[in-house]
Amino acid sequence: MRIQRKWVAGLGVAILLGLLTAGWSAAEERGVTKDKITLGLVLVKTGPVAALGLPNGQGMVDYMNYLNEQGGINGRKIEVIWEDDQFEAPKSVAAVKKLIHRDNVLTILTTGGTNQTVANLDTINKSKIVNIPNALADEFFKPLQPYIFAMGATYEAQYQCIVDYIAEDLKMKDARIGVVYAKKEYGKKGLDAIKERAAKYKIPVVAELVLPTGAVDASSQVLALQKENANIVITCDVLPPVITFLKTAQKYDYWPVIFGFNWATDDALVKACGEAAKNYIGVNFVGAWNDETPGIKLARELAKKNDRQIQLTSLYINGVGVSWLFGEAMKRAGQNLNPDTLKAAMETLSNYDTGGVFPPVNYSPTSHAPAEMVKFFKADVPNGKLVPITDWRKPK
Amino acid sequence: MAIRSKTFRESYYEDIKLFQTIWLKFWTAVFIIGLVLLPFLGDPYFVYLVNLSCIATVAALGLNILTGFTGQISLGHAAFLAIGAYTATNLAQRLGTPFWVNLPAAGLTAAIAGALVGIPCLRLKGLYLAMATMAFGVLVEYVVITWDGLTGGVRGMSMPAVSIAGYSLDSDEQKYFFLLSVTVLMLAAANNIMRTRIGRAFVAIRDRDVAAEAIGVNLTKYKMLAFAISSFYAGVAGALYSYTLNYIHPEHFTLLLSIQYIAMIIVGGMGSVIGTVFGSVFIVVMPEFIKMFAQALGSLVPAVAGRYDEEWNIAAFGLLIMLFLIFEPGGLYALWSRVKVGFRNWPFTY
Repeated sequence: MRIQRKWVAGLGVAILLGLLTAGWSAAEERGVTKDKITLGLVLVKTGPVAALGLPNGQGMVDYMNYLNEQGGINGRKIEVIWEDDQFEAPKSVAAVKKLIHRDNVLTILTTGGTNQTVANLDTINKSKIVNIPNALADEFFKPLQPYIFAMGATYEAQYQCIVDYIAEDLKMKDARIGVVYAKKEYGKKGLDAIKERAAKYKIPVVAELVLPTGAVDASSQVLALQKENANIVITCDVLPPVITFLKTAQKYDYWPVIFGFNWATDDALVKACGEAAKNYIGVNFVGAWNDETPGIKLARELAKKNDRQIQLTSLYINGVGVSWLFGEAMKRAGQNLNPDTLKAAMETLSNYDTGGVFPPVNYSPTSHAPAEMVKFFKADVPNGKLVPITDWRKPK
Repeated sequence: MAIRSKTFRESYYEDIKLFQTIWLKFWTAVFIIGLVLLPFLGDPYFVYLVNLSCIATVAALGLNILTGFTGQISLGHAAFLAIGAYTATNLAQRLGTPFWVNLPAAGLTAAIAGALVGIPCLRLKGLYLAMATMAFGVLVEYVVITWDGLTGGVRGMSMPAVSIAGYSLDSDEQKYFFLLSVTVLMLAAANNIMRTRIGRAFVAIRDRDVAAEAIGVNLTKYKMLAFAISSFYAGVAGALYSYTLNYIHPEHFTLLLSIQYIAMIIVGGMGSVIGTVFGSVFIVVMPEFIKMFAQALGSLVPAVAGRYDEEWNIAAFGLLIMLFLIFEPGGLYALWSRVKVGFRNWPFTY
């Protein structure tokens, strides 16, 4: 027994020494050489939600390659290393550590969705990772997170805009709102925002129904909404369940005006649903695929040139837009490019125009908040696409 | 005078000694020195993977006690991790209690939940038990998502770093030593539990519950105890997970996580403490080896270059489980034992 105690004591002392000396490491310049800039990207490529990450990441990579063809950034070519996190926080944290400590990247364009970005927050701040998450949460910009630049519109803002539109543009008499939502962050935040905004306009919310992300049928939800005479349905769900809902509603000959947020506002919905999408109105914080603005035209050209078979075009546009902002900031940072100068350059983007990809971009040293602006799109069923019906607008 | 063999034992005390030979002590010392030096040899990415392996070891050890030693299958292990993680996070965030309160509290809360789940599961076996535990997992997921006030719902919860005497363990290297200490303690405890009456009762239940009852093993008590001990380990692992990631979210504790732990104990070796360590490390580190293999293959065969993605890992994961179940049901531990015996008896074959 005495021997065993010695072992335990020895191990204890060794661990204590380790604890006291751990964490000694020297900081060093990262990711920029005389002729190359290495950037990282953490986005889901495989697994159940690969369809969301792939077009987004492809847009980012294609735009960076486009910049390379234009001569690079201040004479330096860009290399992007893309790590797949399978939409899991522990894998995202591992990928971020690999990119920073092994691949020595200047920064990571995006560290994934809300869950993954929050899990990486400590590393983002310690390693000065300037990034634009591909999701939006208040904690990304309230209070100011020095290295996170939020883009788009929060879920709350999107749903506030939708209720504003119902009250002030549709001007429907006896509007009765039914909400179909997923028990996810966007679903619950959306539901709360709708209820609060609808109460302001005194529009009744007559049903709140859960539609799981993996649903293959929405009969119970449709029948419940019909029973409640809901003439407006707001979906707080991603594309596949919204498609399921629209098709089920068509089956029951139920034709309310149906709204959706950015993750369900894509040409893919019109193509998948056809006639069932005729009453669909969606919001998004990126332009539509068929817009004739210079930014969207460029996105279409890049997709064609790189032979991308894109299902979710809005995410590809988003990816192009994110790289566009980084490209501009890297140019502005000049020859002395490092995380600090990159951050400072991002903060100079004021009323910056991305040619219709995003609404005007405004960052400053005191605010990295998103524009909180969306456009409304309506399904153009014969042509299988979404067409804009408003300009950029904010919650009122 | 008879020459004493190195594996010859003269008393029960010698038989149950943890360090049976001088060589075992020597290699253990080398291993401990290696463990202490480990974070200084690798970068934070490597250390983070080791940290994940420590958490996986504690969690899988809990499952191995229930499934490998007692023969009770569970598909709800991730739910107990969630209970532990949310308990520790709530205590740390709301009451500011230190880790040495939060870790046992996380384990105890999960253990109580485990014992409660054990009661209705007493009469269930095999597929039915698997379904019942899976249903419990779904129930916990629902509660975690819905009970916003306690769990933060779909927003998740942030966890402060471990603090020891005012010294905050922020870096991966510092967390490593904390995780290693807890893992060693949990391994030592499991090893000792398995050498006691309780451990032998678990094994008796696994081998034939009717026979176990006939020789005086109280099935109700020991099955519930197995659930409670297993859940205690899962609860502690959940707290460690929260301390490592500094953030928890309902999506972190899904059915897939429970299945990963099952894979760990199958690959490592059912009913083996050291096998659990092998299995956990193997499953956590395996994707790295597959990536290295894919890169090496890509440099030899240009058609394969750049084609690696995470799907390779998922395919390898499934293939490995199949291969182990067919060719080596004893897992890595059985392989390790064979190699060890081979060396010990060399040049003889047995």
